[in-house]
Amino acid sequence: MAMITFKINRYNPDDEKRGHFVQEYQLDVPKGYTVLDCLNDIKWKLDGTLTFRRSCRSGICGSCAMTMNGVNNLACETQALALNCDTIAIEPLRGYPVVKDLVVSLDPIVRGLMAVKPYLMTKTPPPTDQERLQSPEEREKLDGLYECILCGSCTSSCPSFWADKEYVGPHAFLKAYRFVADTRDECPGEHLEPIDDKHGLWRCHTIFNCVEACPKDLNPTKAIAELKKELVRGKLG
Amino acid sequence: MKYRETTRSGGALPWLFQRISGVYLAVVLFVHVVNLHILIDGEIGYAAIAERVATPLWKTINISFLIVALFHGLYGLWIVLEDYIHIGWLRVLIYSVIATIALVFAIFGTLTMITFQYGG
Ligand code: SF4
Ligand code: FES
Repeated sequence: MAMITFKINRYNPDDEKRGHFVQEYQLDVPKGYTVLDCLNDIKWKLDGTLTFRRSCRSGICGSCAMTMNGVNNLACETQALALNCDTIAIEPLRGYPVVKDLVVSLDPIVRGLMAVKPYLMTKTPPPTDQERLQSPEEREKLDGLYECILCGSCTSSCPSFWADKEYVGPHAFLKAYRFVADTRDECPGEHLEPIDDKHGLWRCHTIFNCVEACPKDLNPTKAIAELKKELVRGKLG
Repeated sequence: MKYRETTRSGGALPWLFQRISGVYLAVVLFVHVVNLHILIDGEIGYAAIAERVATPLWKTINISFLIVALFHGLYGLWIVLEDYIHIGWLRVLIYSVIATIALVFAIFGTLTMITFQYGG
């Protein structure tokens, strides 16, 4: 048990005069509480107007991504006492438009994602007697790619995205490579072509912020490097 | 459904050339340092340098180094600036300034190298 002060960035679109401000709450935090548990306690016991997004509370849905003490992470996977601070500052993910309090608009994430056609594309008809099969080795190539929960932490931490709101974003590149690397996908060009542009791959300057930000320990920068190699190979014939 | 307009930039080949030119610059710099500071006998003075620079091999190396370095550095600068400058006319202006700098330095540098003579 420890007394922790939560400094939470707040914003209510219906109260434009007040704009963005920081509100403090104090909470006795028992051992084992995640930051999401703390936010729930604040909402349920102290201030019902506090708004944040969450759903699965087990690190699967990606809804509760936020910036805690300057670091992007999932609130439901962050132990409050493990942060080892008597003050925890909580902000909405940076770089996205704030809808209310800790809730950001996910439009930029969806726009980037849909651009890369995030689904298996084939030319040949499926076998009639079985599914499209993969060997265990072929399946292994997708490790570190398929686990993305689209929380948006990576793109939120990316300076290229801060500078260019049309930037496709590391989350979408990781997803694109997930399909380019899939042996069942027969149309890699369909995923590659839309990101070969000035808001696409070539805007990545290998800054590695996305790698640091990812709560699932994935490596979008590596996926981007692989995609760049694919595109260069394609150009050289 | 189209979620965003794509604008072709053909960034793949410049990206590749930026990598190759980086390696080339590193190798030539290494050769330069070894040649000038380790292999050289006696004093490093005008005579020693000029004699070497006047040979066709070094003229070629120096000209290629100049042009590759100008491309590598100024293209890198443009890529970084491009992130932050979104106003159309300003982009054109900055791009023109960078291209002019590249051209002027490339022409003067190449002329200097070609016409350089030493001794008989
Ligand atoms: S790559 Fe990681 S940080 Fe980015 S959206 Fe996926 S899970 Fe979130
Ligand atoms: S609530 Fe689903 S990831 Fe945290």
